[in-house]
Amino acid sequence: MINFTSSKTFIFFKMRIIFFLVFLTTISIKAQNNAVGKTEKLVFTASYNMSGVLNNIAEVTMETSEAKTSKATLLRLKCTAATYSKWDNFFKIRDLYESYVNPNNLKPYLHKRDVNEGRYYKAMKYTFDPKSNTVKSVQTKRNKPEENKNLTIHTGTKDIVSTIYSLRLIDFKNMPVGTKKTFTILFDREEMKGMFTYLGKETIPTAVGKKECYKLAIGSNQPDVLKGTNSNFLWLTADENKIPVYGKFKIPVGSGELKIKSVSGLKN
Amino acid sequence: MKQVFIILGLIAAILTTILAVLPLSNLAIFPAIAALIFGLIAFYLSKKAGYVKKIIQFTFLLTIISISITIYKAIFTKVEVENTEELLNKEVESKQEAIEELEDLDLEDINIE
Repeated sequence: MINFTSSKTFIFFKMRIIFFLVFLTTISIKAQNNAVGKTEKLVFTASYNMSGVLNNIAEVTMETSEAKTSKATLLRLKCTAATYSKWDNFFKIRDLYESYVNPNNLKPYLHKRDVNEGRYYKAMKYTFDPKSNTVKSVQTKRNKPEENKNLTIHTGTKDIVSTIYSLRLIDFKNMPVGTKKTFTILFDREEMKGMFTYLGKETIPTAVGKKECYKLAIGSNQPDVLKGTNSNFLWLTADENKIPVYGKFKIPVGSGELKIKSVSGLKN
Repeated sequence: MKQVFIILGLIAAILTTILAVLPLSNLAIFPAIAALIFGLIAFYLSKKAGYVKKIIQFTFLLTIISISITIYKAIFTKVEVENTEELLNKEVESKQEAIEELEDLDLEDINIE
């Protein structure tokens, strides 16, 4: 049984998590990958916090693996979101986001998104042609015909997953506090501008120990997604791996949180 | 005045019960506190007037049962992800399809170092 009001809230909450992760990036396409390994697994708990009362809602997993073709070996970046069992009868989420990227600079070649939330289903596929800056998109929805569309994008525009991972290629060590960066993401067949501000280092307790982190404030030009840059934050470990360990974002009542639960297979 | 607190207490107690049975049960603590406060005020005013209505006792009973459910769920409900077979199968299928598509692309000579 799906409660409409709750479903809306849930979708909003989930979108916040996704966009929160997304708007964290950067973006030099020439940046070399010294942070993202090929067998990495990060598990997060997404929760809703109201006046200190926490409600764990879903588990978010970010995993990497090799994808071998006859010509090349690419890096598969996979993100999944699944609601905890207590929510499944109420509003079940089983989302799969993946990108097949150049392992050296995380430039995307193929992006697939499979959204399964309650009765809502949507699949999206982008095939990137970096030489001509075009993207071939295929959208599938429940009970609707497949939609094909060719898109022209700007140089450096990435899909949501490779954008999240690209954040980890940024050199924060030499970045002055207060530095702002903008980036472009292709989402729902539209280019969106995002930005972040580097707020300096901060040490925070996490499930994987006390970590010194780079703190970022995240914002976007999409008013419905992330309002302003002073209420959405992300903490990345201040080491060579730069893994996201904690995220906090504002929602209409209370706040959402993304907390690291376990880490394995790191590159450094 | 007394009637207002009785009604507010009852509404808060019903809200507590609804939240307590939903997965968002931890949030039931807020209307529960409100229900107890309104209930106590209504009880005090009623006692002053010389007659305590049964509805006030019912408000307390409903709130206490709801708080018990909330505490039970907070302690004994396991937070885990289940029924992921479909998602796992989809992940495998999706990778196979992706590799087939990537074969058709004009990829550079890329390898993981």
